[in-house]
Amino acid sequence: MATEHSAHASKESLGITSAPLSEKPAPAREVKVIRRKLNGYVGFANLPKQWHRKSIRRGFNLNVMVVGESGLGKSTLMNTLFNRNLYSASSAAIPATEKPSAVEIESLSADIEENGVRLHLTIIDTPGFGDAINNTDSWTSIVSDINNRFDTYLEAESKVTRNTIADTRVHALIYFIEPTGHSLKPLDITFMKQVHGKVNLVPVIAKSDTMTEEEIVEFKQRINDDIITHNINIFKPAQFENDDDDTILSTQDLIAKIPFAVVGSTTAVTTADDRQVRGRSYPWGVIEVDNEEHCDFVRLRDLLVRNFLEELRERTGNVLYENYRTEKLKKMGIDQDNSVFREFDPNLKQEEEKVLHEAKLAKMEAEMKTVFQQKVSEKEKKLQMSESELFARHKEMKDKLLKQVKVLEEKKSQLEKSKTTTGDGSLQPAQKTRKGFLR
Amino acid sequence: MTVDQVGIANLPNQRFKIVSKEGATFTLMVAGESGLGKSTFVNTLFQSTLKTPVDNKARYKRGIHATVEIEVTRAELEERNFKIRLNIIDTPGFGDNVNNKDSWQPIVDFIDDQHDSMMKQEQQPARGDKKDLRVHACLYFIRPTGHSLKPLDIEVMKKLGTRCNLIPIIAKADTLAQKEMNEFKSRIRQVIEAQDIRIYTPPIELDDQASSDHAKSLIESMPFSVIGSGEDEIEVAPGQFVKGRQYPWGIAEVENEDHCDFKKLRSLLLRTNMLDLILSTQELHYESYRTLKLESAETGSKRSRRLHNPKFKEEEEALKKYFTEQVKAEELRFKQWEQNIVTERHRLNKDLEEVQATIKDLEEQVKRIQLGKK
Ligand SMILES: Nc1nc2c(ncn2[C@@H]2O[C@H](COP(=O)(O)OP(=O)(O)OP(=O)(O)O)[C@@H](O)[C@H]2O)c(=O)[nH]1
Ligand SMILES: Nc1nc2c(ncn2[C@@H]2O[C@H](COP(=O)(O)OP(=O)(O)OP(=O)(O)O)[C@@H](O)[C@H]2O)c(=O)[nH]1
Ligand SMILES: [Mg+2]
Ligand SMILES: [Mg+2]
Repeated sequence: MATEHSAHASKESLGITSAPLSEKPAPAREVKVIRRKLNGYVGFANLPKQWHRKSIRRGFNLNVMVVGESGLGKSTLMNTLFNRNLYSASSAAIPATEKPSAVEIESLSADIEENGVRLHLTIIDTPGFGDAINNTDSWTSIVSDINNRFDTYLEAESKVTRNTIADTRVHALIYFIEPTGHSLKPLDITFMKQVHGKVNLVPVIAKSDTMTEEEIVEFKQRINDDIITHNINIFKPAQFENDDDDTILSTQDLIAKIPFAVVGSTTAVTTADDRQVRGRSYPWGVIEVDNEEHCDFVRLRDLLVRNFLEELRERTGNVLYENYRTEKLKKMGIDQDNSVFREFDPNLKQEEEKVLHEAKLAKMEAEMKTVFQQKVSEKEKKLQMSESELFARHKEMKDKLLKQVKVLEEKKSQLEKSKTTTGDGSLQPAQKTRKGFLR
Repeated sequence: MTVDQVGIANLPNQRFKIVSKEGATFTLMVAGESGLGKSTFVNTLFQSTLKTPVDNKARYKRGIHATVEIEVTRAELEERNFKIRLNIIDTPGFGDNVNNKDSWQPIVDFIDDQHDSMMKQEQQPARGDKKDLRVHACLYFIRPTGHSLKPLDIEVMKKLGTRCNLIPIIAKADTLAQKEMNEFKSRIRQVIEAQDIRIYTPPIELDDQASSDHAKSLIESMPFSVIGSGEDEIEVAPGQFVKGRQYPWGIAEVENEDHCDFKKLRSLLLRTNMLDLILSTQELHYESYRTLKLESAETGSKRSRRLHNPKFKEEEEALKKYFTEQVKAEELRFKQWEQNIVTERHRLNKDLEEVQATIKDLEEQVKRIQLGKK
């Protein structure tokens, strides 16, 4: 009964797509795929679980670049995000006048573990951005750092032996917008346009505790307008139809709140209701970093780590890096050969082998023919030569002999003549006559 | 002050989600002599008719011309909302010929070709749509002779083991009694070790007791004995069905661990080690092929493609024969020619001899006349 049932059910849900095989082999043959939904449990559905385990064993990594004008709270926010003092206290701001005009790139790493899951985190800081009087070039060193990281990866994946490639590419770039309340500055726009094709761009409104709720809403609106008018691509998490309702809602909320208005603080403060929280205490109240009602800090953290870290990494590897690589290789003059992407096809392989075989046969035939003809003509020549040699020798011999015959016949007739006319003493004149005849 | 976690603990769930959404690609090769139940096993493993077994008449008809032809079956299976793109590489008729020298070459070439193709695809500037048929696991079916591995088995397994995850299997386990099976297994294990055949071994994760125990039990059972059965299940009790083969003396059950190792093999292939099979193919087998290839490209050597179609061989032979015949014909012509020359030489010599005779005669006459005069 169970058999009957399952056989029947699977036929219902079959949907076997057998592409009509054309009589003549077309160049792009459609591939026949059997499609089936299984009723019983075979076990391959366990693969995501295997990945889950494997990912814990392997650990995770994330490289975040932070860019923004000095004093916007970049270091503070990173410390707040990962809840530790990533920056040593000594890296406090050096007086502006002594700062070199170029932007420096600083990277610091930390290994963080939570419930047995390890994350290797690297923060790439860019102090000095926007500090110069003329900032036209302030982004060049940042862009070239991003490119260099791609190049390093490209080099590593092209090596002959490449056991594990360390991924130092930038997975997310957090861009700090000054809470002016106006709109984006020309430097913001110029910079974002320079990098939006190379990184997952995450713009945030820095120090948002300096703006009222209303101001933030309006500011966000203006920033989003600017982003649209200037065609800037910012990172937005993907939504999936088979996500559960809660996930869909929270992702929608996340997207709606972009650009996140953030506040950073690692210091504990006491709230009016006597709770110890991370926040900033003002005479008019306490702003709580981890309170979603107060700011978007938690949303930023969800986006960067809790919910979309892997998506950031996947997009970096599969889209941004691939685009960079494609362009770079094409510029280097490497031509695309799309024929290598075709589906395996035994018939095609046979045809290919037939072509190879025929070429081989033709070559064999040509070679054998050449050898054959050469040998034949050599032999022919040899035989012709011995033939003509034979005739020539014969002719020579015969001529010689015939001459002898003539001489003898002459001699004979001479003798016979002298015998009848003179007799014994006529030998001398006869010889003379012979000589004369020969001349 | 209690601070929320950063969210790192959730990262494995993200992986889980991404993989669940994307599904997976898995390529399974079955190799071994004809009629060992390879196609049947594939159907049993995936509980659906993916391969239509060749009926015995067709098998016989293929006769002495049996070619090792690679057959790719593609399927998209779904269970518990998880999709898998499955490629079955079947190699029917392997070892059917009287002389099976090089009969394994197409199988080995197939594996190499897939690695080669991946390399070429990877090198393209734009490489979004890669076609991947790299073999993640190769099941090698051993005939249940009860003796040991045959020289052909050893030769083929050696070649396969260095190229992909090789999993040896004792076919038709229902034809060996318990004791015979145990002895057969241990002999095969000895040969595998003595001949240095590389087979896939599940990794033992020492920090995880349950997982390492499971891995050990898999390793101890190798080579796995399997029983394949058709789609129809057997009713053992009212409403209770099992997969198996019904004999008058009992039922050989596929999923009974006392009857064969099917469940262990299924676990290894799908439930516990599928990811390891996929990753080790990429990270071990593919990488070592790539490294070797790049190194040999640097030194300039090149693998020339070998062709196996017996028809090709026939055509080559025919061509050679044609030329041999031509040579023979020419040789005959030359012989005759030489003969003619000899005859001609005779004739000419005779001719000269005649003249010489005339000369002799004349000389005699002259002499006689001279003498007569005296
Ligand atoms: N009001 C307010 N002040 C903040 C916030 N975050 C940081 N600050 C303060 O702003 C000052 C600068 O913070 P940093 O984190 O050093 O800023 P930065 O962007 O790293 O500065 P540079 O490293 O010089 O580029 C410090 O006094 C912080 O306490 C915030 O969210 N709101
Ligand atoms: N006794 C026994 N017979 C089996 C078993 N599995 C398959 N068979 C039978 O063996 C015969 C051959 O099975 P196939 O699956 O066609 O064998 P194959 O290895 O795919 O053969 P080729 O495609 O020709 O290489 C069929 O009659 C099956 O019913 C098994 O486990 N035990
Ligand atoms: Mg700083
Ligand atoms: Mg078969």
